[in-house]
Amino acid sequence: MDAVYINPFINALVHAMETMIGISPERGTPYLKREHATQGDVSAIIGFAGPNVTGSVALSLPTLVALKVYSLMMGEKVYRITSDVQDVVGELANIVAGGAKTELSTRNLGFNISIPTVVVGPGHTLGHKGDVPVIVVPFGFGKHRFMMEVSMRLK
Amino acid sequence: MKILVVDDSTTMRRIIISSLKLAGFPDVVEAGDGEEALKAMKGISLVLTDWNMPVMNGLELAQRLREDSANDGIPIIMITSEGAKGEVMEALASGVNDYIVKPFTRDTLAEKVRLIARTHEVRP
Repeated sequence: MDAVYINPFINALVHAMETMIGISPERGTPYLKREHATQGDVSAIIGFAGPNVTGSVALSLPTLVALKVYSLMMGEKVYRITSDVQDVVGELANIVAGGAKTELSTRNLGFNISIPTVVVGPGHTLGHKGDVPVIVVPFGFGKHRFMMEVSMRLK
Repeated sequence: MKILVVDDSTTMRRIIISSLKLAGFPDVVEAGDGEEALKAMKGISLVLTDWNMPVMNGLELAQRLREDSANDGIPIIMITSEGAKGEVMEALASGVNDYIVKPFTRDTLAEKVRLIARTHEVRP
């Protein structure tokens, strides 16, 4: 998948985290996902489809990262994955999908996005379309690491 | 001024409501989707709504509110991640008065609400 299609998702995630929680995450080197399971404990996935494109984007966070993001966004500490923590991860994925949509629509690649689905538990799998390659983009801030997954097919 | 905040995300509602209270708008009620919002309109002076929600989304909510003359003069601000030009135009055409794209800062939200309250001479 061409970087030109991945960059809008990366830009949207960085902008969302800078604006909503005051953190500029550093991006690692993207790679093709080969394993089935995700590396995070809390993931949010959003499907999208338009006249010229279809796919999905997911954020997958280890428990400690999800708790950190929640505390930074909401201004309060939590010590376990509550429904509110899941809600924050889902909302972050929603903002990423919306931001990428805004940028991609200028390239005639507009799409509609679904309501986010949040999955919790170690070693879970995400429902990207089976026949479309998934690109994993690692991110980090401080000692924390998490992943964004983008799967996208042009029609 | 009584403000209705409509969003299916409970945490996003909390962020919006706390921002409004910090900005000097303490009278806020909330709803989790468009249908709940329609039932909560009594005494409302301003509606802040998300777009992408289950049951009834923000676009349908704006259209339903504009169909009822009882809601004449009540401004609607859409707060959504959907910032593409086509979406903004569609929202404005459905009766939305202003638009805030997520992610937003608390200051942006407060300024928009103050501005639209002034512009529309929102009932107290």
